[in-house]
Amino acid sequence: MSRPMEGLKVLDFTHVLAGPFATRVLGDMGADVVKINSAERAAGANSPEHPYYIMWNRNKRSLALNMSDEAARDTCRALCEQADIVIDNFSVGILDRWGVGYEAVRVVNPGVIYMQMSGMGTGGPWSKYVTYAPTIHALSGLTHMTGVPGREDLGIGYSYNDHLAGLHGTYALLAALEARQRRGHGQHIDMSQFEVGANFLGPSLLDYRINDHAVRPAGNKPPYDAIAPHGCYPCLPQSDKPVVGERWIAIVCEDDEQWRTLVSIMGNPSWAGDEKWSSTQSRYEHLEELDRLIGQWTADKDASELMMTLQHAGVPAGLVQDGVDLAEKDPQLAGADFLKLIEDIDPEIGVTWADRLPIHFERTPCDTYNRVRQVGEDNTAILSDWLGMTKEEVQAGEESGKFT
Amino acid sequence: MSNSEEGALAGVRILDLSDERNIYGAKLLADLGADVVRPEIPIGDPLRKRGPTAKDGTSLWHLFFASNRRFIALDMTSTADVEKLQELGNRADIVLTQDSGFGNHFDIQVARKANNKLIIVDTTSFGREGPWANFKAPDLIAGALAGAVATTGDKDTPPLKTFGELNFIVSGTYCAIAALSALHETRHSGEGQRVDVSVHECITSCLEQVLMWYWYHDRLTMADGPVMPRQGAVHWTGAYVVMQAKGGSIMVTPAPDLQAQLAWLVEEGVHEDLLDPKYQEPENYPLLVMRLMGILRAWVAEQDVETLFEKAQARHMPYGWVLPMEKVGDNPQLNARHWWVPYRAGELETTGPGAPYHFSDTPWQMDESESFSISPQQIMNELGWEDRT
Repeated sequence: MSRPMEGLKVLDFTHVLAGPFATRVLGDMGADVVKINSAERAAGANSPEHPYYIMWNRNKRSLALNMSDEAARDTCRALCEQADIVIDNFSVGILDRWGVGYEAVRVVNPGVIYMQMSGMGTGGPWSKYVTYAPTIHALSGLTHMTGVPGREDLGIGYSYNDHLAGLHGTYALLAALEARQRRGHGQHIDMSQFEVGANFLGPSLLDYRINDHAVRPAGNKPPYDAIAPHGCYPCLPQSDKPVVGERWIAIVCEDDEQWRTLVSIMGNPSWAGDEKWSSTQSRYEHLEELDRLIGQWTADKDASELMMTLQHAGVPAGLVQDGVDLAEKDPQLAGADFLKLIEDIDPEIGVTWADRLPIHFERTPCDTYNRVRQVGEDNTAILSDWLGMTKEEVQAGEESGKFT
Repeated sequence: MSNSEEGALAGVRILDLSDERNIYGAKLLADLGADVVRPEIPIGDPLRKRGPTAKDGTSLWHLFFASNRRFIALDMTSTADVEKLQELGNRADIVLTQDSGFGNHFDIQVARKANNKLIIVDTTSFGREGPWANFKAPDLIAGALAGAVATTGDKDTPPLKTFGELNFIVSGTYCAIAALSALHETRHSGEGQRVDVSVHECITSCLEQVLMWYWYHDRLTMADGPVMPRQGAVHWTGAYVVMQAKGGSIMVTPAPDLQAQLAWLVEEGVHEDLLDPKYQEPENYPLLVMRLMGILRAWVAEQDVETLFEKAQARHMPYGWVLPMEKVGDNPQLNARHWWVPYRAGELETTGPGAPYHFSDTPWQMDESESFSISPQQIMNELGWEDRT
């Protein structure tokens, strides 16, 4: 039983998070992902020993190519001839300078699907701008909109857009493969991580362009639709450690029935009988006060127990889980064996872990999780498989500095 | 986009039974040219009421997320319409379904028996089994339980939901990947399959530092235990911080070339003690970052935000101006890339968000034609989905 993308050859020039996440998903689904790195570049987050690299580069093979060496660039061109997919997230133009830009590769490999996932895309006044996910969050409106009134220094607490640019990259590559199946040749995909981020504000951008209404951050309050309560409420802390010792529960009432159930579970407090809590619209208009009253009620409750009580009664509620909760207490993740110890232990790095691909194929399951490889660890296997080189030829290349 | 000859997915037939958890996946597929048919109840999809809305009441949420579909009205109290729903699924290449709405009326086993090439992408909030399998989880709850909400906000705010439907955009994107990877496999094997996608797992897989912090905190010099507290826009590295400048806020970072940032501050004459050799010791790197960010904060406060942004980018430093909606909505880069595309719904004509990627040969398109409900009796003829089984 093979995985869905087995047989697909991917030449991966990506680094940091967005690009490696795109190819991680392909590798998880069985593609032969060859990650290009070099001894010179393998520093910081590009080092196989850095946790950041470990997170995004499992299920790939590692080839060391010293691209400052002309002979190594010849090998790179030969690999591009064999690839189904070539992908990079360098600034625009770097692969062209190495002689493996799209126009050069398509001549010798018309079936190639060639993706460049730069920060800003090709062309435009910002095309050469340098970006990381926090830059994209800021420029696309995600930072401004994720926050509370009066503050612009909040934003999303993790690199959301890197993950999503990666996933959109994977998706676009799969779509291009389907097109190749039908049309017989590959194509170029210019992906702008900025445009990925701006796309997520789609309805609000339409609101601005049609209604001339610029929505503003509102914390956990829904910006457009009357839903109340809709917030996070403090519960009994789990320790006295600041912030991480806190416990919070998220509660949402999407209709009056759920509200009435919540009121009943709260013990029908006298304040809940006030007319202003009788309709969703009225509750929404007084949400700040409602949040305070519910927060007073939850403050001495155990968050996990309260979540179970509310959910069993039909009220949407969820413990605000942190990494320890996810890894040690979450029954759904445990039941799905979602967090896995990688059995093959790297002698240099030690024990590593993987979060599974969250796609469960019934007939072609993706249950293989190979550890991150050291730079050049698979030189011989890759160059033999892709180019038919002998062990001696690879060894000579390593000694000359070409494959390092 | 009906009967497209151009899109990458032209000719792929999809029955879209999605709700808010996977509707973005159906959008991704439809926008690349798949023939995506979306049934709705006779009084209209409840998602057509989601805000924001135009003055005529058109839901802009629905206009965006339900783009490029063909809509059909089906009444699930009618046996004939239930059969039509089933027949549509039987003849599709892909069915996107879940445990609600039309998904409750579509028999997966019957469809798979009728069409052995059929791909079923079945989305659940928490998987089909386990103590939380039946939990209700709108976006805020899904984000809370999956670990996203705990990361966002600050010490003096509650944990915060990300704006919009970002959690369900994650699950929707995974659903689209699931559909096309299964289709790729089916093209080779000749057999379809069922694919399950858990929203909970999807969100948890996209949290950058959260699991890294838990697993590898003993290798991270800046980590103080397995959980990183919510800390506003301060990145886990400590080297990306939103600061107040004149005229707005800006995300400031000395990464990836700290020496370049130092050189800039030296040029400006505001480097204070940053050239002290103690800061060059590797073990003092966190100290250097902290000191540097403190100096930057005071310096940035005196700079005009737009000028600072342009100056930083001219030096290849990834500063990011924190743009409000109106500046995203009229952005020079998006305008120059012709990103905005026409949208139309009834009398409403406008331009709105375009593609997150540009294909050289099979362009992403927004269908401007009217695409409201097709009458039930026309379904099979108009769709022209001949029997492939």
